[in-house]
Amino acid sequence: MEIEQLEIRDYLAQCPPLTELPDEVLNELAMGLEIQYARRDTNVLTIGAHNGHALLIRSGAVEVTLENGELYGQLSEGDWVGHRSVIRGGTVSMTVRTLEDTLFYAIPAPLFLKFMENHERVRRYFTERKPERLRNAIEEIRGSEGLALATQRISELMKLPLLAGRNHTIRELAVQMNEANAQSAMIVSDDGALNGIITDVDFRKRVVAEGRSVDIPVTDIMTPDPLTLKPGNQASDALLLMARRNIRHVPVVDNGQVVGVVSATDLLRSQSQSTIYLVGDISAAKDVARLEALSKSLPKMLVTLVNQSMTARDIGHAITSIGQAITRRLLALAEQQFGPPPIPYAFIVAGSMARREQTAHSDQDNGMILSDDYHEAEHGDYFRNVAKFVSDGLNAAGYVYCPGDIMATNDQWRQPWSVWNGYFTQWIESPQPKALMYSSIFFDLRCLYGDASLLERLQTGILSRTREQTLFQAFMAGNAMSHRPPLGFFRGFVLEKDRKNASADEGMDLKKRGVVPVIDMARLYALAGGLAPINTWERLDAIAEAKVLTPSRVDDLRDAFEFISMVRLQHQAQQIEKGRAPNNYVPPEELSSLERRHLKDAFDVVSSLQDSMASHYQTDRFR
Amino acid sequence: MLWPFRSPETRKRQLAASVEHPAARRYLETPFADRRTPVWEQDYLVLDFETTGLNMRRDAILSMGYTEIHQGRVQMSACTHHIIKVNIPLPPATVVVHKITDDRMNAGIHLHDALHELVERMTGKVLIAHFAQIERSFLHAAMERVYGHKLPLQVIDTLALEKRRLDRSQQPVRPSQLRLGNLRQQYNLPRYGAHNALQDAIATAELYLAELSHAPEQGHKLKLGDVLEPG
Repeated sequence: MEIEQLEIRDYLAQCPPLTELPDEVLNELAMGLEIQYARRDTNVLTIGAHNGHALLIRSGAVEVTLENGELYGQLSEGDWVGHRSVIRGGTVSMTVRTLEDTLFYAIPAPLFLKFMENHERVRRYFTERKPERLRNAIEEIRGSEGLALATQRISELMKLPLLAGRNHTIRELAVQMNEANAQSAMIVSDDGALNGIITDVDFRKRVVAEGRSVDIPVTDIMTPDPLTLKPGNQASDALLLMARRNIRHVPVVDNGQVVGVVSATDLLRSQSQSTIYLVGDISAAKDVARLEALSKSLPKMLVTLVNQSMTARDIGHAITSIGQAITRRLLALAEQQFGPPPIPYAFIVAGSMARREQTAHSDQDNGMILSDDYHEAEHGDYFRNVAKFVSDGLNAAGYVYCPGDIMATNDQWRQPWSVWNGYFTQWIESPQPKALMYSSIFFDLRCLYGDASLLERLQTGILSRTREQTLFQAFMAGNAMSHRPPLGFFRGFVLEKDRKNASADEGMDLKKRGVVPVIDMARLYALAGGLAPINTWERLDAIAEAKVLTPSRVDDLRDAFEFISMVRLQHQAQQIEKGRAPNNYVPPEELSSLERRHLKDAFDVVSSLQDSMASHYQTDRFR
Repeated sequence: MLWPFRSPETRKRQLAASVEHPAARRYLETPFADRRTPVWEQDYLVLDFETTGLNMRRDAILSMGYTEIHQGRVQMSACTHHIIKVNIPLPPATVVVHKITDDRMNAGIHLHDALHELVERMTGKVLIAHFAQIERSFLHAAMERVYGHKLPLQVIDTLALEKRRLDRSQQPVRPSQLRLGNLRQQYNLPRYGAHNALQDAIATAELYLAELSHAPEQGHKLKLGDVLEPG
């Protein structure tokens, strides 16, 4: 019988890293396979023993523990065990015990090693640590940058060319290029046909370095008959041409006429340009109605950014810059209506907008820190009016009212500096559940408008106190344990640590279970280390630099965060493209098996950092 | 000294003198596995037949699939599957169940060739089948036709093993409970969609490993004699 007809082969074909392997390789593997079974609570591999097979779990689940008894992980269908000992020559260093009755597909060591040797992808998968595997996955996705460029046409990227006749001197051209701020010039004949190109570099190489006179004709130093592109070409064509020929400027020719020029810089810039334009339009908006209209393009913007394979970090910045611009513009419009502020104040935002990690319109979280010169009778109306104007405007633009009423319109969050300072003192020195809820919001603050020094003074004081208050830190750590990543996937379902909470079949909340845990941990460690950054990525950078955590662990966490965020963003972009409102619920079946695997790796990284955090702060005392 | 019955080895030696085919002769000349062998150390051949019906006199073997268990693991490298050429037209019901059509069957091999190969592979091993009386009776019928004699067999029946376990625990047994698919589910073995003789032989092999694993002390005290079918 042909091995293709057996289900075992089909099963192998869907298990990373065996996916996408040629049929004959899969057949060879299937034919060399052995099958073994272990009932529940059996030690399949014992530390110190010899192991001669790499094991793929076909059904069931196992628990892997380290020599010191620490749990390394729980693995299920589609996971591998025993491959490390096979690679190292056979001695088992982790105990594998079955949690359920388990069937394994066992690949004998010689076949497994030969197979690893012949397939780079397979080797990488088995030899890399999980965090490295994740890193490579991210790079692989990033590697598809060409895809984004492929969707863009040269006509969208090109700039108007500087045209010069053949009879100009080098000096005259240099002056013209200077005035036009152009890095290249097209030399054309009288009928407009392209004769040659001159770039900045030519002045150095062909004039100065070769000691030529600047009064000779430009035709002496131009590159004649340069390579050209058409307006309909794709951006990726330009990129290829530049890379192959090592050139940085390419003329665009249509019907024999020079219509534009594309530079390497333009190609790079094109990636984030769209947001910059939108922010520009927002800053010039005349009224709230215009802001409302401009704000509507935010979901489309997200799709563009995701398709351009920008990093989650950059996408967060770009999307947040839109909300920030709208807020700032509303404040400026408010000043036009109510006049300049009578006393200094800072308009502050909290949450994802403060962290610059927005992916869509969010609830508004904001407040006002007023100067201590504030007198209710004298200034009260002004700030109430401004706060209402901004809050209503934000709501109209899609940043809906905060359900928890954390808005400058609420008297509690529109207070003089000393009152704010009192709030923070209380939150830090006598942590309570309600205070903790505020902590996760108000320890991420950014001043968007007004006198930023009011917030800075507040934050400096906060950081020196959070650094010393270990009880506060322990409470924050406990809070940071409230959302945990799922264990992974199990027979197409999300595998939960907490079996009671098995609502997972609708999809897992990637925000709560992946993004928020990292944000919470970064906040805790930043506050514990007295580190100022607010953005999670910047916090992680600072945490590594200050060695609050081992830099390599921070690297792992950063990659996990990037991967989880990217999956979430791609999911949201897909929803928007289908005309739906984006959410955070990703159904496991929407993911490829490889994505699931990487996501599982990412969850493992987050989970293990949470565990170390919990044991460091002994959070179980506070639960 | 006279034994009250002929030992299997004696019977096999006598038969060997009257059987001509070298594969059959070698099979008979190779001693049976010792009943005191620990079950996990024994080599097995796990077998499944598909037949045109259940009557071994009237019906024929349509296909045979088998694999081996060595050192407690099913060996995919030992998987073998043959479609057998049958000289009668296939009853339509059979075609539906086994998805073997006349055309495909004509591409098969002759029963005697398939039997020689099977007997060769059985040599030195113990046979395993699920509801083994089918395999046993059809195998014996084929042997009678090809060699003129039924060769003695050492057989383990995964269904009978399960039934004995349930009987011991005095639980009522529903027949459907003992079907291959249902038993596999009970042991957390994956559900296989396709049915052909080889896939079912693999499924039976996995079930046997599961049954041993679930025996007291994970079967490490069991000897071959504890699991073999009588006679």
